[in-house]
Amino acid sequence: MNEMSNKWIGQSTIRPDGAEKVTGRAEFAADTNMPGMIWGSVLRSPHAHARIVSIDTSKAEAHPGVKAVVTAQDIVDFPVDTPVPLGIQDMRWMCRNIMAREKVLFHGHPLAAVAATSEAIAAEACKLIEMEYEVLPWVIEIEDAIKPDAPILHEYLEHDGKPSNITGTLEHKLGDVEEGFAQADVIIERSFTTRPVHQGYIEPHACLVSVAADGKTTIWSSSQGQFMVRAMTAMLTDMPQSDIRAIPAEIGGGFGGKTIVYLEPVATMLSKKSGRPVKMVMSREDVMRASGPTSGSMSTVKIGATKDGQIVAAEGTFYLQAGALPGSPIRGAAGCGFAPYNIPNVHSVGIDVVSNRSKVAAYRAPGAPIGAFAVESVLDEVAEALNIDPLELRLRHAAREGTKAAHGPTYPLIGFVETIEAAIEHPHYKAPLGKHQGRGVASGFWFNAGGESSAQVNITEDGNVVVTTGHPDIGGSRAAIANVAAELLGIDYRRVSVLIGDTATVGYSNLTGGSRVLFASAMAVTDSAGQVITTLCERAAKIWDIDPDAVTWEDGEARPAGDNAGQFEPLSLADIAAQATQTGGPIGHGAQLNTTGAQGGFATHICDVEVDMDLGIVKVLRYTSFQDVGRAVHPAYVEGQMQGGVAQGIGWALNEEYIFDKDGHVDNPGFLDYRMPVCSDLPMLDAVMIEVPNPAHPQGVRGVGEVPLVPALAAIANAVHNALGLRFSSLPMSPPKVLAALEMPEAAE
Amino acid sequence: MYNFNYKKASSRDDAVAAQSSADDGSYLAGGMTLIPTLKQRLAQPSDLIDLADVGDLAGISDDGGAITIGAMTTHATVAESEVVTSKIPALAALAGHIGDPQVRNRGTIGGSIANNDPAADYPAGCVGLNATIITNKRELPAEDFFTDLFETALEEGELVTAVSFPIPDKAAYAKFPNPASRYAIVGVMVAQTGGETRAAVTGASQSGVFRAADIEAALGSGLDAAAAKEVKVSADNLNADIHASAEYRAHLISIMASRAAAAAG
Ligand SMILES: Cc1cc2nc3c(=O)[nH]c(=O)nc-3n(C[C@H](O)[C@H](O)[C@H](O)COP(=O)(O)OP(=O)(O)OC[C@H]3O[C@@H](n4cnc5c(N)ncnc54)[C@H](O)[C@@H]3O)c2cc1C
Repeated sequence: MNEMSNKWIGQSTIRPDGAEKVTGRAEFAADTNMPGMIWGSVLRSPHAHARIVSIDTSKAEAHPGVKAVVTAQDIVDFPVDTPVPLGIQDMRWMCRNIMAREKVLFHGHPLAAVAATSEAIAAEACKLIEMEYEVLPWVIEIEDAIKPDAPILHEYLEHDGKPSNITGTLEHKLGDVEEGFAQADVIIERSFTTRPVHQGYIEPHACLVSVAADGKTTIWSSSQGQFMVRAMTAMLTDMPQSDIRAIPAEIGGGFGGKTIVYLEPVATMLSKKSGRPVKMVMSREDVMRASGPTSGSMSTVKIGATKDGQIVAAEGTFYLQAGALPGSPIRGAAGCGFAPYNIPNVHSVGIDVVSNRSKVAAYRAPGAPIGAFAVESVLDEVAEALNIDPLELRLRHAAREGTKAAHGPTYPLIGFVETIEAAIEHPHYKAPLGKHQGRGVASGFWFNAGGESSAQVNITEDGNVVVTTGHPDIGGSRAAIANVAAELLGIDYRRVSVLIGDTATVGYSNLTGGSRVLFASAMAVTDSAGQVITTLCERAAKIWDIDPDAVTWEDGEARPAGDNAGQFEPLSLADIAAQATQTGGPIGHGAQLNTTGAQGGFATHICDVEVDMDLGIVKVLRYTSFQDVGRAVHPAYVEGQMQGGVAQGIGWALNEEYIFDKDGHVDNPGFLDYRMPVCSDLPMLDAVMIEVPNPAHPQGVRGVGEVPLVPALAAIANAVHNALGLRFSSLPMSPPKVLAALEMPEAAE
Repeated sequence: MYNFNYKKASSRDDAVAAQSSADDGSYLAGGMTLIPTLKQRLAQPSDLIDLADVGDLAGISDDGGAITIGAMTTHATVAESEVVTSKIPALAALAGHIGDPQVRNRGTIGGSIANNDPAADYPAGCVGLNATIITNKRELPAEDFFTDLFETALEEGELVTAVSFPIPDKAAYAKFPNPASRYAIVGVMVAQTGGETRAAVTGASQSGVFRAADIEAALGSGLDAAAAKEVKVSADNLNADIHASAEYRAHLISIMASRAAAAAG
């Protein structure tokens, strides 16, 4: 298909969900209602860390209007000594995250939930639950959590033979770093910190769950995976998966934050106990206190180079906050940081640290921006020390086909070099800068992913097409799939409807995450459409009474080929559909695949900033990102992904952060205090799409959604350094902090 | 939200009467502040008296020497008004930078000043421009109207009907918006009206909007921006929060005043 003159692939066709969204008809989870529905509300911990001594729900249960109360006793307990992995999660932690068991581990940790005839009654009844705690000392920051005398969150988790808040490590090694550094003329070592930031999706978590009298359960929820919702809910409520139908509602953003459950199992138990459908909707405050942000981090990176500009060794240690339960994205930080480069000796270590804050969740290229911030900042200094242009230094070491990466793979065909070359050639890189302005560059890598996806392609009786896939659409996958299906079948994309199936109507499909959805689902659709075309040719052969091999499918119609060419009038999709019953019945095929061949995504960014020297405000003046997008199946959406990633990076670099008060509570749990950028804070974010099609994919697709965030923190910090000569090793570079550093440069540290 | 009685007033008198007959009645203007307060159960009025249908509370008039803005006029209307943009562009710009488009299209000048949020923009606009606040009972200078954090001179049931702004010789407003809420971390209205120089500061003080005497002295009759920038404002009694320390706010006062003065020209 890459060689075909594409008609629909590469077109920014009208998005299929657009009309419903702009007219307010799209149904989000909080919009769903059922007869007899009641409301669930969660009692959350007022303490950052405490042992639960007793919990008495009798008054809440007796409260008028209350229909059910659940506590941890109603949720399946996965004992702490036996790992139960589900995807990248572990059900030991998941059961303790959705409902505190032995201890409350963060302020806002759920303790119990009440379902009542109104939201207000449910909330009131929560206050009637009598709790007795033994309040424990708590710890919030990594540096405090790893001290020898730190309060320990989980006594049973050990590191170096002792109970510890270090709950996991990961190591990548290539070559011998000691030997490498011995050859180096220039060695730069720096330490960095980043603050936890929230994904900032606009739609809070929400669900409606109905458990019928026979146990058959329907869940409508906002998630990045209806199959994940089904599996986790089944495990946490001890139900067979076949009894649960999880329906993916339209989703108002996720960015990784909706790849785990918070409410669904709780609502399921409330519904089961009360016999009524139960709706639960988080407030923004609940979202900010108790759903996953991404990790804060503490890292040290050391890079050595010879004076002729060869990087000979690189070392990194990345401590990441996991939140209250283990599982931070150390793989992203330690794995992606050095992944763009051909460096002979690499040693990269990731360390998972728990503390009394909400459990982190995935956020767009989880961990990778943290790794890249440290590595790309140090690279910038190496380039400066060697007096080499920073893009030139990256180009010299850029990974290409055949490069062995420290995190494992030897790269197949990748388009990283192309992103750097395009950046060097771009007018942005040569544009003059004014006073107090600076320019920074950085590159980044994200793994991307394949895995399980299913699709069904059905031909309607009137000869149109319905495609069902299994992934909530958070980045434009329906539009892109419509383009792919139209291209394959040779018909107008408007004749293709793409729907997201629920767990009962489409085969198993893994999460919307890892930049995997279009990659994997386009493969399933290609497979299904191929089978459909075979069937269409067979039906035409039957109608013409010729051999099926003598029929080809071109431009949306069956044509006789070979000896029969020109003998019969071509048959359109509509012609064949009209005769389907007579020729063998309904036409449609599905595929259920475990896809492989996903290849890494690379990007290079150029950022210009201006610093307001009186106020400390860093303003992004111009931003251009260059990305190997494989194949831009729907360019407007790809551009949107690139811009969205950069916008989130700007927020992370300049202003966003979780702030905790002296009691270990989040002090800015809402958008009046959590500093996310808005459109008026940003310039137009230019996106240069570079297409190096993935040879392992029928349409050349590479994931595009996550890597755009990866280089942004470093590109901005490097630009600030270029403007001021000051290196901010701790994010965010908020105005008071920048101003303090202008007055006292050591404040940048 | 707790339950309340809802009444849509048809006239000023109707509104005032409804308020006085209620146990604990509250006027409802744009609802941008009041409704979230109710949702969070931070207030429990017995009655809400909606001013939306009191037609003569909205609108902008120009009587030559002053511009009078009805209490129910939205921030968006002020920002786009031809009269305001030509006669007091500083005020139009101030209104145009309040919150976001949704807030500007609902929020009103009457609601804003009655609420007197210490980080709101209009209080600085009113005091800096030496406006007169007009109520159903009286007229009083802005300086006497804003009394303390979220406190005004309004008596129980008193209705703000309009604000009258004398046309200044020169004026400009400079705001350092909170990067999250967009309220002012510090905002300074610098204006010269009938020979008097004023610098009114919002966002900074623990007791709400105030005139910065040392800045006004430095600005002088020539609106000397460079002199204002040199003023070392004391951090005593200034707000400190998760976004900015008292010292940073003190610093912002002289910088924003200086920038406003430079813009006012
Ligand atoms: C996200 C957000 C951002 C914002 N950003 C800013 C900002 O940057 N700068 C800024 O200045 N403001 C900002 N605001 C506040 C906004 O300007 C509101 O409009 C203002 O606070 C209240 O106006 P309102 O018309 O909505 O009043 P309401 O919320 O309806 O009423 C507020 C109070 O005033 C009383 N009241 C209303 N009208 C009268 C009247 N005529 N007479 C007597 N009492 C009356 C009410 O009883 C109530 O107590 C923001 C608000 C939000 C939600």
